[in-house]
Amino acid sequence: MKRKKKIILYVILSVLVIAGAAAIYIYKEYNRAHKDTAKLAADYTVSAADFVNEFTGNEQAANKKYWDKIIHVDGLVKSVDIDDRGFYSIIIGDTASMSAVRCSMDSVHNKEAESVKPGNLIGMKGICSGFNADELLGSDVILVRCVIDTKK
Amino acid sequence: MKNKFLMIAVAVLISSSSFGQKYFTKTGKINFDATTASSPEKIEGVNRTATCVVDTKTGNIQFALLMKGFEFERALMEEHFNENYVESHKFPKAEFKGIIVNNETVNYSKDGTYAVKVKGKLTLHGETKDVETDGKLVIQNGKITATADFNVLLADFKVSIPGLVADKVAKTAKISVTCSLEPLKG
Repeated sequence: MKRKKKIILYVILSVLVIAGAAAIYIYKEYNRAHKDTAKLAADYTVSAADFVNEFTGNEQAANKKYWDKIIHVDGLVKSVDIDDRGFYSIIIGDTASMSAVRCSMDSVHNKEAESVKPGNLIGMKGICSGFNADELLGSDVILVRCVIDTKK
Repeated sequence: MKNKFLMIAVAVLISSSSFGQKYFTKTGKINFDATTASSPEKIEGVNRTATCVVDTKTGNIQFALLMKGFEFERALMEEHFNENYVESHKFPKAEFKGIIVNNETVNYSKDGTYAVKVKGKLTLHGETKDVETDGKLVIQNGKITATADFNVLLADFKVSIPGLVADKVAKTAKISVTCSLEPLKG
């Protein structure tokens, strides 16, 4: 009789432990923060010109290769945009061309963009969200959650 | 010969003046909000990389954005949004093509706030639907700030919400648009 009780106790205990572990896992997963782009390794390193050319040449193939991947882009800063809420976008590319790589800064790293000036040679790291093709405005490859990543 | 020059001059004038009538931005902000009263927290994402062009002459208005550019506070929510709801790997883009219905009531050369009605087609999740909304144009110092709020019924765009969370996610999402448009230089 005593043995049976012991077994039941162990079963209850192990169920509680499993339920607890599951609860902790769910809680952690639910509250999981975005990974800091600065701490992620780039999947691809490209020059801004090549990056844009690849998308203009074959958008579908480029999307398949780069979409949702972490990209490090090198090039000259064409302009620095700031919106009404103070969020920076750094545009990398040839000033003679309408097309460029637009890097929307990560909100945590936004302030780092303050010192960036047009004409600077820069390296940016961000997540590729795709290609915005527009004949009138120029077509852009978009990177989001970007950080400045000049040193290699 | 003189005629040819005149024709070219006129053509250049026409094209440059029509360029001056377009306003654009590449940093348009689109908010997505699917919070309901029974949601345990805010279900809200923001996209800051929308492209928008307004032709002040015709009243044509166009938006384009990349779905993956929506940022949510919680990583898990963003993943669900992309993978399960809007399936942004299959449908990476959303766009709106429409017209400002009462464009003639807006004086683009005079500072002020103008109420506008916008009508057009919204393409999202591979589905295209007619959308109509009221918006506001604020013209100040040669720049336009365009704002609009409208609701989209997610089922219209075949965005399905799993039964498990059906009562936690709104059936209609509120979309808020804020764009600061600058003149397009020809």
